[in-house]
Amino acid sequence: MSVTFAVFVGLAMGVVFGFLLEKSRVFEPAVILGQLQLRNFLMLKIFLAGVAAGLVVLGTLVAAGLTGLHPKAAIWSADIVGGLILGAGIALAGACPGTTLAQIGAGYKDAWFTLAGGLLGALTFTYLEPTLRPVLLTGGAGKLTLDALLGVPFPWLAFGAAALIAAGLVALERWRPWREEVGANADGLLPPPDGASGTAPATAPSRA
Amino acid sequence: MPALDDRAWSPYLAGALLGLLQIPAFLLIGTALGASSSFVTVAASLAAWVDPAIQQIDYAAKHLSGAKNWWQVALVVGIALGAFLSARLSGTLRRGIAPVWVRALGTKSPATRFLLAFSGGFLMLAGARIADGCTSGHGLSGMAQLAIGSFVAIAATFAGGIAMAHLLRRV
Repeated sequence: MSVTFAVFVGLAMGVVFGFLLEKSRVFEPAVILGQLQLRNFLMLKIFLAGVAAGLVVLGTLVAAGLTGLHPKAAIWSADIVGGLILGAGIALAGACPGTTLAQIGAGYKDAWFTLAGGLLGALTFTYLEPTLRPVLLTGGAGKLTLDALLGVPFPWLAFGAAALIAAGLVALERWRPWREEVGANADGLLPPPDGASGTAPATAPSRA
Repeated sequence: MPALDDRAWSPYLAGALLGLLQIPAFLLIGTALGASSSFVTVAASLAAWVDPAIQQIDYAAKHLSGAKNWWQVALVVGIALGAFLSARLSGTLRRGIAPVWVRALGTKSPATRFLLAFSGGFLMLAGARIADGCTSGHGLSGMAQLAIGSFVAIAATFAGGIAMAHLLRRV
């Protein structure tokens, strides 16, 4: 595979990816922060729908013999410590690595600072990686997957998990209809919670 | 029917379409969707201008060249273009800082927000590289492959995110 081909495919896929992140509203800081404060569940809906579709796609491709899987190795300390730090960063940034770029595309100025901080974070890790490897990034269970653990063929387990997620999403939608979580300005910002500390702006944010 | 100039699509439709992007990722590139390792490729490429010795670090060398690394860089550049296009079509292009931050931080100061965004970005990528994946690589892709390490990483990500989000003001 040539780099030119890969870059062309990446750009085309990225445009679709970014388009969907924008249309789904999950790139909005209020959606991400609202999810982490357990106030707005749009992010979970999009995320779980993406996982369920991925399960169906990969179950089908694997059953048809068209592809193998590329799971990441399970390294408990790295997954837990890294995940906790990643989550804390997502809350402060109001973005995840992919949606940072969607925020830049949509016009949010602070996302440029998130990007710069992210590049410095990635660079810092790169310099520290040889030191961290023996302490944090080794051991674990290797490329362990649930189907191997249970001894069930991947496609069946994937379809079953997708069905479970779909049922969960139906329940989630009954509890919190998505149209009520998009917000008046489509930015996921809901009316201030009761007992807010008085800092919330009373007026609707202006259309940019 | 969802239209290209709608402000919002159903999260279930948009999410499911995101999941379908695994098809070209696996069949054309031979990898799963991901976003955070592109930050290493770009940061290490920039750093190599002032510190060529960075290429001696295996981790940097592994990310500096190769079709899959530059595929992911192109992917995240495309994300910015796609988001711009979608917002342009629906008239939801944004300016400045999202109003949610005044609520969450209790101040309108852009400097405070910029500092927090920078710190958040730093933690986000440091954490993602320690865990070897982010919301895309561990989340969308790892969970769709039923990878146990990704379940653990995503549980930790939500735990860390929920804890930190509760230190901010309620939005």
